[in-house]
Amino acid sequence: MKEVLSVKNLGKYFVKGEFSRQKETIRAVDDVSFSVKKGQTLVLAGESGSGKTTIARLILRAIEPDSGEIVFDGIKIDNSTTILKKMRTECQMIYQDPYASIDPRMKILDAVREPLDIHNIGRPNERKELVFSALSDVKLDPQEIALKYPHMLSGGQRQRVAIARSIATKPKLVIADEPVSMLDVSVRLGILELIKELQDKHDISFLYITHDLATAKYVGHEIAILYLGKIVEAGPIDEVLLQPRHPYTQALLDSISEPSPDNLHKEKRIRINEPLKIDTYKGCRFRARCPYAIEKCKQEPTLEEVDNHRYVACFVEIN
Amino acid sequence: MATFSVEELKVQYHSRNSTVKAVDGVSFSLDDKESIGVVGESACGKSTLGLAIIRSSSGGKIVSGDILLDGKSIVNMTEVEFTKTMRWKEISMVFQGAMSSLDPVFPIKQQFKEILKTYDYNDNHIKTIENTIDLVGLDSSVLDKFPHELSGGMKQRVVIAMALLLRPKLMIADEPTTALDMLTQAQVLDIFKKLKKNTSIMLISHDLGIISEIADKVAIMYAGQIVEFGTLQEVYSNPKHPYTQALLRSVPKIKGKSEITSLKGNPPNLVSPPAGCRFYDRCPQAMEKCKKMPPMIKIKTGYTSCWLYE
Repeated sequence: MKEVLSVKNLGKYFVKGEFSRQKETIRAVDDVSFSVKKGQTLVLAGESGSGKTTIARLILRAIEPDSGEIVFDGIKIDNSTTILKKMRTECQMIYQDPYASIDPRMKILDAVREPLDIHNIGRPNERKELVFSALSDVKLDPQEIALKYPHMLSGGQRQRVAIARSIATKPKLVIADEPVSMLDVSVRLGILELIKELQDKHDISFLYITHDLATAKYVGHEIAILYLGKIVEAGPIDEVLLQPRHPYTQALLDSISEPSPDNLHKEKRIRINEPLKIDTYKGCRFRARCPYAIEKCKQEPTLEEVDNHRYVACFVEIN
Repeated sequence: MATFSVEELKVQYHSRNSTVKAVDGVSFSLDDKESIGVVGESACGKSTLGLAIIRSSSGGKIVSGDILLDGKSIVNMTEVEFTKTMRWKEISMVFQGAMSSLDPVFPIKQQFKEILKTYDYNDNHIKTIENTIDLVGLDSSVLDKFPHELSGGMKQRVVIAMALLLRPKLMIADEPTTALDMLTQAQVLDIFKKLKKNTSIMLISHDLGIISEIADKVAIMYAGQIVEFGTLQEVYSNPKHPYTQALLRSVPKIKGKSEITSLKGNPPNLVSPPAGCRFYDRCPQAMEKCKKMPPMIKIKTGYTSCWLYE
């Protein structure tokens, strides 16, 4: 299957305390490789600080990577204007907070039209049509909504507008950074369904960034679990979430509370330890909290294929 | 015997031109050491309900109804009397986003002492504080730290400890795990699980999963009203109201290929809510009768307000 995006050995380091005597390097993204297949959704999952948003920003060149390469649609991304321009038309982003991502002083029509104007897509007199078709794609009534301002819409409607704007330029890849975490439970599913539908209709690939594994399973085909800037486990989403191979994935799954009356009298058991005070960058990064840690874990494990398309970076067999 | 009950409570926000009926006739009751989960979408009035119980709702006025703790009405108390006998001593609250409300310029211990001083606490201050911090699974060394030295999960635990400081009978917790990471969230839930053995907890959340870890009884709120109330077991495994059913069906799950369906439409405006059932517009089973407000209909362990069960 054709790959739309492939990321190889990506790295980004931030220096903390640049002006103080004790400098500390945070390896926000460290030797990360993955690829997104055409018409599929790859989920990047992890807790805050795992580097998932940094990866999104690196792909869009909002920040410069320190190492590694990004290949989009067969072209290696660098800083030349033509390549960046292609990248920024064909790769779009949906942000977490629809209350902040749409300019409050722009009418919906203008907000969705803006990327078309910037990238010079369609003749100016055709653009309104394009905006209307994008709005219908996200199940909003263009006639009703086009001349409204964002404050007149609900959270779910706003996120639909943000999605309409991201698909207006007919992108090949959309990066969605926690697109439903700010929305109400009842609205969430509608947005997830919409994402799946747009994918089928326009053959868009999604890079779906989230910490919520249950919604991830609903939209995703493959998943990569990040822990402190490194991928610890990757593979087809159903397999990874139903039979985790990495202790961290297992702990994340333990921590999920699914609505069930049996939870009340069950003790919640998460297979994780209180963190030890050790240097996280020496050896396996999860070693400090891992209940399965062995002596060998002082070396850094690499992400290796253990089964058909299943990748794990761990020395221990947990099952 | 019910020790905590809310009867026909109505809370409204008044502005110049309109009145928002945020809580509109809510009733439920809890036995001793029973915990309740209040679930609903944003703007359904669940936070207002919590704030009204501890009488801290800014702008929201209790128009009618009653709140009884151990048979004593707290609605008619004067503000002074409420502060002196009830607030924090009998009923306390972990507010939404409370962990960011810790004062950045004082160490944690100081902020605990402030509470004890405000409520004229006579016992040994340090001992009480240390015992309380132990209840939430923190080491007493955090007491000398400043808020910026603590992680999100630790701060949340500190705020929960503050609510427990005077050993209240009821602790209201409004979305206590929302801003936390998954693993930390599970740890905080674990603490609530232990605490609920001694204190009634009223957990306000939009997350049906979290509620199912804590709540003995569940109230499903929609547009200012409780549409279904009952034991967790009953509400989750045998939901009656179409809204409860829809809500439970809309949650994606990890295990199994469960069929999930989304809920279409938006909740009604609470300035001028419809005269009939408020779920009418979104309800797949709506009928002619639903244009009239449904009564509270008794079901196995609680009640539901839906004409289907008349």
